[in-house]
Amino acid sequence: MYETFSHTADLGLRIRAEGFPSLLEQAGRALFATLVANLDEVRPVEQRELRIEGDDPEYLFFDWLNELLYTYQKDRLVLVEFDLHVDSAGLRAACRGESLDLARHRPDHDVKAITYHDLTVVETDGRWLAEVIVDI
Amino acid sequence: MPKGSYQGPLEQIAPCQWRIPKNYKQGMRVDGLIFASSDMIGQIAADQAPEQVANVAFLPGIQAASIAMPDIHWGYGFSIGGVCATDPQQGGVISPGGVGYDINCGVRLLRSNLTKAEIQPQIEPIVEQLFRQVPAGVGKGGKYRYNRKELRKLTAEGCNYLKRQGLATDADIEHTEAQGCLAGAEPDHVSDRALERGKDQCGTLGSGNHFLEVQVVEEVCDEEAARAMQLEKNMICVMIHSGSRGLGYQVCDDALKQLRKAPAKYGITLPDRQLACAPVESPEGRHYLGAMAAAANYAWCNRQLLMWQTREAFEQALGKSWEKLGMHLVYDVAHNIAKFEHHAVDGQRRRVLVHRKGATRAFPPGHPETPDAYKQIGQPVLIPGDMGRASWVLVGQPSAMDLSFGSCCHGAGRRLSRTAAVKASKGRRIDRELADVGVIAKARSWKGLAEEQPEAYKDVNDVVDVVHRAGLAKKVARLRPIGVVKG
Repeated sequence: MYETFSHTADLGLRIRAEGFPSLLEQAGRALFATLVANLDEVRPVEQRELRIEGDDPEYLFFDWLNELLYTYQKDRLVLVEFDLHVDSAGLRAACRGESLDLARHRPDHDVKAITYHDLTVVETDGRWLAEVIVDI
Repeated sequence: MPKGSYQGPLEQIAPCQWRIPKNYKQGMRVDGLIFASSDMIGQIAADQAPEQVANVAFLPGIQAASIAMPDIHWGYGFSIGGVCATDPQQGGVISPGGVGYDINCGVRLLRSNLTKAEIQPQIEPIVEQLFRQVPAGVGKGGKYRYNRKELRKLTAEGCNYLKRQGLATDADIEHTEAQGCLAGAEPDHVSDRALERGKDQCGTLGSGNHFLEVQVVEEVCDEEAARAMQLEKNMICVMIHSGSRGLGYQVCDDALKQLRKAPAKYGITLPDRQLACAPVESPEGRHYLGAMAAAANYAWCNRQLLMWQTREAFEQALGKSWEKLGMHLVYDVAHNIAKFEHHAVDGQRRRVLVHRKGATRAFPPGHPETPDAYKQIGQPVLIPGDMGRASWVLVGQPSAMDLSFGSCCHGAGRRLSRTAAVKASKGRRIDRELADVGVIAKARSWKGLAEEQPEAYKDVNDVVDVVHRAGLAKKVARLRPIGVVKG
């Protein structure tokens, strides 16, 4: 589950999930929902494998979103499905989506960067909450 | 998460100056100093922006004060509208957050020999032509493409590289801050990712608050300075606001990642991770400074190519060469940058690194870094406002050197968040509302237009009044938009 919250010049994303992999998955959805207005029109026809090293949940969360953003910025790939595996070495993800097609997809915000400002990734009794502000 | 209003101290020490004493938080090395009027300070304290001013005061080697301009608003790490000078000789740091993601975001203004009366009947086709010819919008690539080898040259040489390609003139370069090339650029410090993102974005406007506007000089406040800039009442000008695009964002991103461990390594305590920094004289600090200068050079080339395409669009729309149309560059200023400059601190002339994050350099008359044409009047300062009201041309004043390390505001400053602005525009047509006040606006996204609507911003006239009254910069001319191109 995710929602957006206001930050004067930018935009905040708040994500809640049961379990860390699910948090990352939801965060991926939240990011792409910010980038593309009609995410439901995006078909999971192309696959991309991503791998991120690290064991700090905050940095892992940050690097994951950053990597997704870079994939979008570089290849215009809009990702909507994520199979995630997290272990002590980091995360591996099989991501599916398709290339941005302006005939069918409506780009929304131009997210310039993921920021560290007030970045929160916390777990309480297996429930995860993350907040991140993206630079627009 | 929105954290409510700032609860700390704000002491008025002069009509337009407010102090956050350094005893407010343990770890502050200097006071905070906010330039604002009594009317504005309530709005400024409505969020956490003053807290961010206090946080910046933690940075090692910071001199005099952590300063904020009247267009201050809540940013990440640094507030937008912040100025911070650090002394490398005193362990001073460089903080990429004090420059921002959009390295060398800035503004340029070109004039023309056209008048409002001549252009008004043709404004729609002109804006259409600009909209077609100048690439804008989310991640949009343009007609100028540079491979890695070419980008390395471009980022090392700045606008001089474009001059060799016939895309910049000597006069363009002379009228650009730092002559469009910041010394110390190290293209090898720019990552492959950054180069990849920059390959087709030089000469593109981007989105968000970036714009290209056709403006009219509506009021001249200082005849002498306006004459030196060859600005006259009713003259048509073009203002361009953009930065270093994806290349710059990636340079900042790379640096923040590289600096994750730097505060611990150098024993620096910070209240916000986004303030990550390293001593100027450290491998990490030097690495970022070289990459930042390269990105700054990319940004100057970006605005130069945006201007070049603007000239081409006017040529096509009006059937005359840009030289015949008198479309010369008045000036180009950066407002997201860190630069080594000499300033008097505690009565001593010192070389400091001035971070300007949403702040414009405002050097006074006679300063060696001001172009010859403006030596007598001071460095032109370009302040874009919102797309419905006004933008301003000012010139730097001597007291800016005493009060703000030769700096001044950079824009109107946001009043509403993006989400609040979109909410406020539900059921409205911002483009039609603008047309009703004589502004033809073309944007690729209605939401972008809604986010950037005039009501989303503070009144730039109030902001400019403060820097004028505080003696940071002097009003020269007010410009009003009549045509707007947005991403």
